[in-house]
Order: sequence, then structure tokens, then C-alpha cells
Amino acid sequence: MANFDLKDRTAIVGVGNSQYGRRLMRSPIDLAADAIANALDDSGLSRDELDGMIVSFGSPIGADADAIAQLLGLKLRTYNQTWAHGRFTASCIQWAAMIVNAGMADAVACLASVSFSGMRRPMMGGASDREGAREAGGGHGEDPAYGMTSPGAGAALVARRYFDRYGTNSRALASVPVAFRKHASMNPAAIMREPFDVEEHQQSRYVCEPLHLLDYCLINDGAACVIVTTSERARDLKQPPVYISGMQGLPGGSEEFIWAYPGLGVVQQSVFEYEAGLQPVYKMAGVTPKDIDALFTYDAFSILAWIALERFGFCKPGEAPSFTQNGRIEIGGELPINTNGGLLSEAHIMGWNHQVEIVRQLRGEAGLRQVTNAEVIQWANAYGDSIIYRK
Amino acid sequence: MAESESRYLKPLPAISSLNQPYWDALKRRELRMQQCDGCGRIWYPPSPLCPGCWSRKFTWTLLSGRGRVNSWVVFHQAYFHSYENDIPYNVVEVELDEGPRILSNLLDVANHDIRARMPVEVYFDDVTDEITLAKFKPRASE
Ligand SMILES: [Zn+2]
Repeated sequence: MANFDLKDRTAIVGVGNSQYGRRLMRSPIDLAADAIANALDDSGLSRDELDGMIVSFGSPIGADADAIAQLLGLKLRTYNQTWAHGRFTASCIQWAAMIVNAGMADAVACLASVSFSGMRRPMMGGASDREGAREAGGGHGEDPAYGMTSPGAGAALVARRYFDRYGTNSRALASVPVAFRKHASMNPAAIMREPFDVEEHQQSRYVCEPLHLLDYCLINDGAACVIVTTSERARDLKQPPVYISGMQGLPGGSEEFIWAYPGLGVVQQSVFEYEAGLQPVYKMAGVTPKDIDALFTYDAFSILAWIALERFGFCKPGEAPSFTQNGRIEIGGELPINTNGGLLSEAHIMGWNHQVEIVRQLRGEAGLRQVTNAEVIQWANAYGDSIIYRK
Repeated sequence: MAESESRYLKPLPAISSLNQPYWDALKRRELRMQQCDGCGRIWYPPSPLCPGCWSRKFTWTLLSGRGRVNSWVVFHQAYFHSYENDIPYNVVEVELDEGPRILSNLLDVANHDIRARMPVEVYFDDVTDEITLAKFKPRASE
């Protein structure tokens, strides 16, 4: 049950990012310094006022919280860090909100800083990836003994199951990456800005069939940071606050799988017709999906946008393929999704670049990508965690 | 000679105290999973207790080795050097008749002929002296 007392009690007061790019040849701590310094500048807070930090996705691909704090000369009262998986973005911001509410820190920098392209190629899914050797297998469904490895393979397994269950296909799915690339074409910070169409998507090579290369996110370097404090304090700072209105955590258990909602019937999930109901995040924020002006979702793979739409009740199971056609999820459409271009086209900063874009949208700073009258924006993921922000 | 000297270079399963009986059974060419002595549930992956009723009393039950393809993927990229000569290769998620799903490879079928709900049966592949993998082959539907 969501805690309504926390509604609008905390806010994001500063956002910052480093350059995004491939083979930047800069260490994650170096990139983190840019993102944190830019977020502090944006907020008007001084370095010494930053007394909390939550790092998503530390080593071996990113910078660890203790090292960042030490090398940047921070004085932290509370810090924490998640397992190196992109699914923890919302959780980090949620914990920051709880930490400042509990008085364990006053201003918390939440960030990820990564150097994917600086790693040796097999890091994700290959011989040096230990995910598949975990007791009970990898978090993305890895089972290397049968050649099942890499996060994308788990998403491909979900895509095939979804195609089969709802009678759709890769051609319908293309509308998702096509839309996000179109958004990236309006984003000077995006790494990939050249638009493509459905035919180009269909002709791009398969990586793990049925997913094509253009269904896969980028592999790059970069850092992004948001600073969370209490709403009371936020009102005295430089920027208009972006309030954290509602939130819900990351669900777990055998009916859950990182890339699917319950009932879809992959891994050990039961098969049933999933009903989104009114998720706790909406109850806490006091809104419904109809009030959401733009949606942001973790798009490591295109299929995840379909799953997120259905998990959060924007449409019913099986309806996402039609929901995402004809420009509806594009800027100017009924529900713009990932206006920055997402992980698929802007950059793969584990969704932290999406948080920065959400704040810029709610402040009206998104330039060509600006969603008209954006007041309520949701971060909602295939795997069930969510935050609703409002200006 | 090359045959007997060739080592198996693909990844091998991670054996733990929980899943040891599973791999021991495969080596004896038996597919066995834990079945709860209380509620009768059969589950996978191996767990210290019944995920349904939390009973710690269970039996490693012999399964039929039969099931159907629930989902599948085809790898066009090799993540391990040892798989480079196999691409494109399939990985199937088999839903066993007894309920649990396992990942495996489907042999004796072209990748483009794999279909959801295809009936399959287990094939024991002795990949090393210690490890036998549970692979699958199509079976006639009946
Ligand atoms: Zn039981």
C-alpha cells in the first residue's frame, strides 16, 4: 500500500549529465564528476550541502559510490548502491526520497556513471559475465550451458512469447524504436540521431531472433545525476521543484520476470489474463493513466515499451501493438514516450538520462522535443516499478 | 583421435548443493525435479523448500521427459567463442508436462520450423564425463 503521506513531500531540484558517447575514453568517476557538478550547478546547492548519494550500477561497468565520494571530496552522511542492473533506477530515487524524509540526509545525489564501450565485448552475456552462473540462473533468464546468455536474449524470449500469444510480430514492434529515433533526431545530446523506418528496422540484422539490432539499446559511456531533497527546501532553491508525487517499488517473486508482467507465461510464470488495475503509484499521486502527459520507460529492448504500457493499464494485454501505431507515442501524439530517444537512441545510462529528460520536460526546457503543457509525467517499467512526477 | 582429445569448451552448469541431485539424475539419464510431499507441487529451479507451502519435505520425482515448446529464440550472435560455429542456434523454453519450464536446445529441427506448443521429448546429451545436459527433440503429437 502506497504511503500517501509521502505524496509531493520530496522533489528533484537539480539535474546534470556528462557527454554521452561511444568510446569516450574517460573513466566512470571522471564522467560522474561532470554529472554531479552539473546537477549541483543546476540546483544552486553547494558541494558541502550534498550529504547523501545513491549510485545505481557501480563496478565493473560504472563508478562505485565510495570511490566517487572519496575522489570528489564529498562529505556524505548516507550513501548506498545497487547491484549492477538497470532495473534499479526508480528504486534509487525512491530510497533518496525516503532518506531525506527520514532525516538521514538533506540532499541526495542519485546517479549512474558507466563505461559500457570501454569494457571488453563479452562483458554482458559472454564468458566474463557471471550472471548465468548465479545460483538458480541469471536475472535475465540466462542459462549459459544451453547458450542462453545476455539480457537481450531474455527480452527476445518474452517477445516471441508475446508475438505468439497475441498474434503480432516484429513489424508491429518496429513502431517503438522508429518513434524513439524520431525523438532523438530532435535531441542534440543523442548519440544516434538518424531516423529510420519500419523497412530499415526489418532489414537490420537479428541479434537474438526475433529481436533485430534496432530493437537493442546502445552501448556507450556517460553519466547522469538527479538531486533529491525535501519539497520544503526545494521551494527556496534556484529551479522550480519537480515533485515526486507517487511511487511504487520493484516487485519480485516467481510470478515476476524482469522483462514481463505476471500472467504472460515465461520462465516460471503462470498463464492468466493480466489486469493492471489501478496501480499503487496512481493511487498515491491521485491520478490515472489518462492524466499522464508523457511516459518514460526503461527501453533496453523495444518490446519493453509494450510490456510497460500493458502493465500500467495504458491499454489491455495484447493491445500495445495497435496502441503504438500512427504516431500516438510520438511527440505531438496522445502519449509521447521517451522523448529523449531513450536507451535505444539517446544513450544507455540505465534510465538516468530519462530522469533528466523528465525534469527538463516538466520545467519546459526540452526545446524542439517539448511536450505541450506537460504537467504530470510517469516513469514506469516493464518490471513494475514506477514514479509519478509533477511540476 | 581428434575426437577423443577434443575438450568440451562450452559453458558448463554451475553446480550447487541445491541442484546437485538434478545434475546427478541427468547423468543417470533421468529427468528429476523436486515434488512436495505435502501439496504435490513440482518446481524448478531447485529450492530449499516448496515455494508453494514452504514444506521442507520433498522427493526428487522422475518426470516423463515430455513437454512442449513455450517460447524460443535464435542466436545470431555468439557471446561465447565456443558457440561461434553454432550460430544461428536455437534456445527453447520447454514447458514440461509436469508444469515447470526449462531452457534447452531443440535438436533435429531447422530453426525456422520451430513452433510454439510443438511437442518435444528429452534427449540426454553427455557433454563431458561429469555433465549430461537435458536437450530435446521433436516428438509426434498424440
Ligand atoms: Zn508444498
